[in-house]
Amino acid sequence: MSEKDKELPVGTTEPFARMHRWLQRGLFVCLVALVIEASLSLPGLLIWFGWPTLSVTEVCHELMKVRWHNDDAECLVPHPLWGDNEGTIYRDTAYDEWGIQPRPKYRGIHYRDLVTFRDERLAREAAAREAAEAQGIDVSAVAP
Amino acid sequence: MTTTANSSGPFGGYDVHQTDSKAAQWQADKWMIGGTLLMGTGVLGVFGLPLFFYGLHLQHMAAKSGLSMRPLIVTLIGYLVIIDSSLNSLGWSMDLLANHSLINRVLTAGWGAVFDGGYFWHYNELMLGDTPIGGAGAPGEKAWEISLIIGCFAPRMAAAIGLLQMKRWGQQWLIVTCWMGVIVWLGYNLNMTFYADIRYSGVTFPVLGWWIYDIFYITPFLALPYLHTVNREIFSE
Repeated sequence: MSEKDKELPVGTTEPFARMHRWLQRGLFVCLVALVIEASLSLPGLLIWFGWPTLSVTEVCHELMKVRWHNDDAECLVPHPLWGDNEGTIYRDTAYDEWGIQPRPKYRGIHYRDLVTFRDERLAREAAAREAAEAQGIDVSAVAP
Repeated sequence: MTTTANSSGPFGGYDVHQTDSKAAQWQADKWMIGGTLLMGTGVLGVFGLPLFFYGLHLQHMAAKSGLSMRPLIVTLIGYLVIIDSSLNSLGWSMDLLANHSLINRVLTAGWGAVFDGGYFWHYNELMLGDTPIGGAGAPGEKAWEISLIIGCFAPRMAAAIGLLQMKRWGQQWLIVTCWMGVIVWLGYNLNMTFYADIRYSGVTFPVLGWWIYDIFYITPFLALPYLHTVNREIFSE
């Protein structure tokens, strides 16, 4: 072992000292980035979707409505432990180009879009109720 | 070398130095294990980070005082591999076993809508015969989840514990399981490529977004060059 090797960390030899130093720096960056990213994923996504304007359950509802293109789709909370897949009921309303490589046709969800989607849906439902009332139809049959 | 003072007096020989080093390492490791347990949960990670860094600081100070401590890079690799494997296994286990929980339907499926449509497209529809499985229904995804948790991440975590204990088997098995990462990254990304319509159509941040989010999971590839070039005599049989 050379004198220089003795100054290096245990297990590191002179030819690899520089590489080990850079790997150590990369490991530090990855560790910090990974942990911060994992911590902020849930709050970050919730804010992106529309929390706190929408509750967590409402975010869940709105995601389902986008996925299956169905205003009736709602998250059952809590879902029964051994219950059926929630998607079984709604699968046929989703928009897809079917083939061996299917292509989904749902809307992209941009910043706070779920709030907009909810407001649009409520406006649609209110308009449908008003139209029904104007025609003298029992509104409870139209109301969601 | 700094003289080690302990109950047996200032004339600490090799054994005393070893005992003191071991105690100091364990003291540092307790903080780092606590931090890693929190960081492995994902959501609580920011609380684990300071604990981990405090343990790292204790290890550094003990090494500076002359005690024989584990090399810093070995410590980083060991704990980071555990965190990486935990985060992967936790996310995938939620998708496999807790796919109808509220947090999973918001976090995993929501993450899918933003970065990877495989976790949003017809989510919670997958069946195995008449048995509901739920979770991601993208082609191949469930097979990757199950096989990688069992075949890659669990043994990789065990290997990382062995490495942190400075065992030769830990170093060898970490090499084996980190090389598995090549198959994981190639296979997983090629599967996503062939079903790119499902994975990226209608997604907020497709492809590049996925890469930016997931790039920090390449840590096993940072471990490999070190594990192959370190003097393996420092690991015990």
